[in-house]
Amino acid sequence: MSHTPSGLSRRQFLKGLSVAGAASLLPLRLLMPYSAQASTAFNAKDFEVFRNACPRNCYDTCSIKTFVKDGVVQFIEGAPESTFTAGGLCVKGYAYTRRIYSPDRIKYPMVQDGRRSGNWRRVTWDEAMDRIAKKILEIKEKDGNLLGLGLTKYSGNFGITNYGVEGMMSSLGYTTRFVGTPCWPAGIDAQNYDLGDMWCNDPEDMAKSRYVIVWGANPAWCSVHSMKYIMEAKRRGAKVLVIDPVFTQTAAKADIYWQPNVSSDGALALGMARHILDLGLVDKDFVSANAVGFEEFAAYLRENVTVEWASDLSGIPAEQIREVAEEFATADPATIWIGYGMQRHTNGGASVRAVDALVAMTGNVGKEGGGARYGHLRTWGFNYHALIQKQPEGSVGFVGGGGPKGEFDFSKGEAASYTDRTFNINKTAQGILDAKDPAIRMLWVSCKNPLAQDFDRPKLEKAFDTLEMVVSVDQFFTETVANSDIVLPVTTLFEEWTVNVSYWHYWLGINEQAVKPMYESKSNIEIASLLSKKMNELSPGSCTFPQDIDTKDWLEKEFNQGIYDYFGIKHWTDLKNGPVKAKLASTASWHDMKFGTPSGKYEFRSDLCAEHGHEALPKYKEGRKPYDEFRLLTPHTKFGIHSQFINIDWMHEYNKEPFLYMHPDDARAKNIKDLDTVRVFNKVGELRIKAKLTRNVAPKSLVIYEAWFGRGNDFNVQNLVDDEAADMGAYKTGAPGVAIHGQFANVERV
Amino acid sequence: MQSMELPLVLFTVLSQAAVGMVLMSAVRGFAGHESGSARNEWTLVAGLMGLGIAASLFHLGHPLEAYRALAHLEKAWLSREVLAAGAFLALAAGAAAVGGGRGALLWGAMLAGLATVVASGMTYAPPAFPALNNALPTVFFLISAVVLGAGFANWFAGPGSQALLARICATALVTGLVVRLAVPCVWLSGGEVMRLSGLAWLGSPLYWASIAVLAACLGVLWKNRTIPVWLPILALLGELAGRAAFFAETVHTAVNIGNLY
Amino acid sequence: MKKHYAFLVDSEKCIGCFTCAMACRNYYHQVEGVVWRHVYPLGEGIYPHRERAFFSLACNHCENPACLNVCPVEAYTKREEDGVVVHHQEKCIGCGNCIRSCPYGAPVYNPVEKRAEKCSLCHERLDAGLLPACVQSCPTGALKLVDLATMEPGNEIQFPAGFPRNEKVNPSTRFIMPKVPTLVRR
Repeated sequence: MSHTPSGLSRRQFLKGLSVAGAASLLPLRLLMPYSAQASTAFNAKDFEVFRNACPRNCYDTCSIKTFVKDGVVQFIEGAPESTFTAGGLCVKGYAYTRRIYSPDRIKYPMVQDGRRSGNWRRVTWDEAMDRIAKKILEIKEKDGNLLGLGLTKYSGNFGITNYGVEGMMSSLGYTTRFVGTPCWPAGIDAQNYDLGDMWCNDPEDMAKSRYVIVWGANPAWCSVHSMKYIMEAKRRGAKVLVIDPVFTQTAAKADIYWQPNVSSDGALALGMARHILDLGLVDKDFVSANAVGFEEFAAYLRENVTVEWASDLSGIPAEQIREVAEEFATADPATIWIGYGMQRHTNGGASVRAVDALVAMTGNVGKEGGGARYGHLRTWGFNYHALIQKQPEGSVGFVGGGGPKGEFDFSKGEAASYTDRTFNINKTAQGILDAKDPAIRMLWVSCKNPLAQDFDRPKLEKAFDTLEMVVSVDQFFTETVANSDIVLPVTTLFEEWTVNVSYWHYWLGINEQAVKPMYESKSNIEIASLLSKKMNELSPGSCTFPQDIDTKDWLEKEFNQGIYDYFGIKHWTDLKNGPVKAKLASTASWHDMKFGTPSGKYEFRSDLCAEHGHEALPKYKEGRKPYDEFRLLTPHTKFGIHSQFINIDWMHEYNKEPFLYMHPDDARAKNIKDLDTVRVFNKVGELRIKAKLTRNVAPKSLVIYEAWFGRGNDFNVQNLVDDEAADMGAYKTGAPGVAIHGQFANVERV
Repeated sequence: MQSMELPLVLFTVLSQAAVGMVLMSAVRGFAGHESGSARNEWTLVAGLMGLGIAASLFHLGHPLEAYRALAHLEKAWLSREVLAAGAFLALAAGAAAVGGGRGALLWGAMLAGLATVVASGMTYAPPAFPALNNALPTVFFLISAVVLGAGFANWFAGPGSQALLARICATALVTGLVVRLAVPCVWLSGGEVMRLSGLAWLGSPLYWASIAVLAACLGVLWKNRTIPVWLPILALLGELAGRAAFFAETVHTAVNIGNLY
Repeated sequence: MKKHYAFLVDSEKCIGCFTCAMACRNYYHQVEGVVWRHVYPLGEGIYPHRERAFFSLACNHCENPACLNVCPVEAYTKREEDGVVVHHQEKCIGCGNCIRSCPYGAPVYNPVEKRAEKCSLCHERLDAGLLPACVQSCPTGALKLVDLATMEPGNEIQFPAGFPRNEKVNPSTRFIMPKVPTLVRR
């Protein structure tokens, strides 16, 4: 050994060793020592290994290797075959081993005598289905249709067969659906207007970038597996800039951190664009050959945008804007990761369009290591066998509906005289209250925890109280379950067959049933088949959902030749050997410069966008006006995905309670000291929480990480978030997004 | 603040009282004083140590396996402490059985007793408590031994020894009070964990209760010039409170990981 | 120098995501309240931004382990072949002396077993040629397994601020300190 580790000299080290060696020879030993070999080596042969895939609403959608012994999941790890997952999961993923066996799991179908009473009693599946089916038939009898039956479902389980929940509703007839997405719709529309689809580069190619801007995303918490690519780019000499109203964990890993005024992103991007235009750093080849409307955009910039103006609005010094704009424009390739956080505003779609334009004008669209990265659905080409179900003969529905039922609606819209009735998922409470002729009498909730995630919770509770029956399908006694009459226990990922893909990376993973379902839990499609059996027993022909299903068969039905070709596999069973990645012609999206827009080119000027009531050009749009003293941000925690995982006792070991984060100067003005309990309140409602003081948060802002805590904690940020709509989203997802970060509140010590 | 470790509080204080009684017995012997009932005295010595050892078992997750604690005499002070305390108990019980300890029995008990106190002092001076990772525990324990030893020995001492014992007890009390008051104040100017330990001690009701009780004992001795019968019981309570503070309030280094030391 | 395994905690890469801590729990299923691997946030005196830099710490598998030295029943051994400090729980009588003695809080009391326990560096995995569960799980390569005998020297340090300096026990963990980006804000 030629070197010694710092802080420990070789001599010291050897001395330590010799002392230890000599000591072991001393004759004082009364008992013989046990062997230093503690136990036998790990042996993979002791376990049955299964393939699973994390079905949560997460960029990373990890491929999981599950080690089972005696029919029990012993431990899990990331699939080593996936270069993205790379052998490791995240803090949430590793908690699955507990989640399946959690003492808090819902074990049986149960009926609650009086909502929020906690008087739950166990019933049989047959009893539960009998109540539910009779209610559905009663609605049909009373209203002459099933529009009084509503479904609210979102991203609690993205396993493809779980679209059987929507299928189950269709198999009953035309119903009321809450459509759209609270997550990312404004940005989806923006990218569709600009590029013709939401389609991002392979995240693994970020390592090739020479300049990375992470704009309103916090992958260090929400996409931990993406961080290694950003770090690799940095190691290779790229500059990393993080733009975020909060000094996030991702920001701490950057070279530069910008803390702009909230929702000023559009101005910032346009200011940079103006400077790039002035310097003549525009990629002329790209904007002339592969884009339309650049000259109009340039004219808009010259007439309406200056760096100083952008600086005034954003609070970022003009010098900084110029410096970064120049570096970004000259780096090749350069990329921007557009986070979902920055588009959760009344001007979110407009801001995303401005950032897209910045990436496009510098010629970074269609380039490996470049790109305006937002997300993609390119790997989602399944059959949606479970989703696509036929309504029973003679079903009566809504007249004049139609349009997409969300970003994952892959059904081909068929011309029919009747459709489902749709309401905006981001205004669930208002939808329930507004629904007339017929009113929503019954609500089915699956893969969703609306009382924790939907906006304006006080209103939602009132809305739920108008419902005649609420059925929740869940694994834990959430707040939504507390506001339900019947709860049905649903399987975890280890207990059902399905398949998963990501909206970020390009890997495909199978989800095998690794163990028998615990207690009486059933998968969503098994529940649908049970309901169908009961419906047909009570009223033959009232439900078309197959009554005998095998989740493995149904998984198989999701595959097609297109998927096989895209991923280069012969048969889905190949996935038992591990996840596979799509065979991409290039890691770059739009590498062939064939855009999905009406013009087939990148559209700086989108007439389609104008047709939908927005500006044709990516012009600056002002954000929401403050309605209270402080800006309120309620972003994601690292300990959960929305309302999942935080409640698990294992997670509780590391995350005991939620906090409000606020700036010390504001705290001083409000006479709040670190760890004081405070009341945060606004026009929507209020919550009580302990405050932590930190300059990670901008002055005049309050940051509280969502969401449902469980374990007796009634913490809920939706008491403070109203249902104000974002500007875009209706085009591709059926409803506009929601201004989750366009919120305001006040705070006081209690 | 960690657990008060009541079994350890009882073990250390009672064992030190027992050892102190033997020391006082030796002192009286050197001074040529007559003793009262040596059998009763040694019975109490053995009883205190026996009670202490019994209490210490409650500290173990697996008391029935306590005998194995002798396994690591070569390095572990705890093993040595167990050996010394066991030997002391055997000698004290032997002395009680033969009606009093003299000569080799007394010398043996004295040596085993001192070894017990020193081994305790080393055991409870671990690297994780910078405030105590030094000779302080041994000093504290020796002072306790003398205060309680003198106090309890007085029950069995002839009239000729009483003034001597009162003087010894008073001196030990003064020393103990000075050390006890000075130490946490010195810690305040030490490293972060020492400082936190000092603050914790100074903020501890147990600590102040022990100071108050032992100061009261000193006051009584000052006034009486002899040791009243009830005084050792009061001193014992004071020492127990102080020992509880010793175990509960001293700050562990791990508490501060991630912050400046 | 003999082979001596150690954790390299690269706080420059660490994102404080707690994956390592949960990977450990996923593998060993510690009972409630028992934590082998902690993710400690660095105080603002060390890293100027609250809860934005971390030390992921478990047992340091010290050269001269306090736990081993104070254990009265010889429940601890240090493996000759790689320096791993192993706690043999079956020998432990639950006296708590190691818990009181380790300056790094590595051994903890298991209230169900009524015995101590601590990070084993997954020696049963090492013996099978695998990485420790925590190291394998780290999404950024911030937690690494190194051999002090062969590690190329770099900017790693043994006693960073925020980590108790105890040269006598000589902890084997090495650290790389986090950096602060340029901040541009109002």
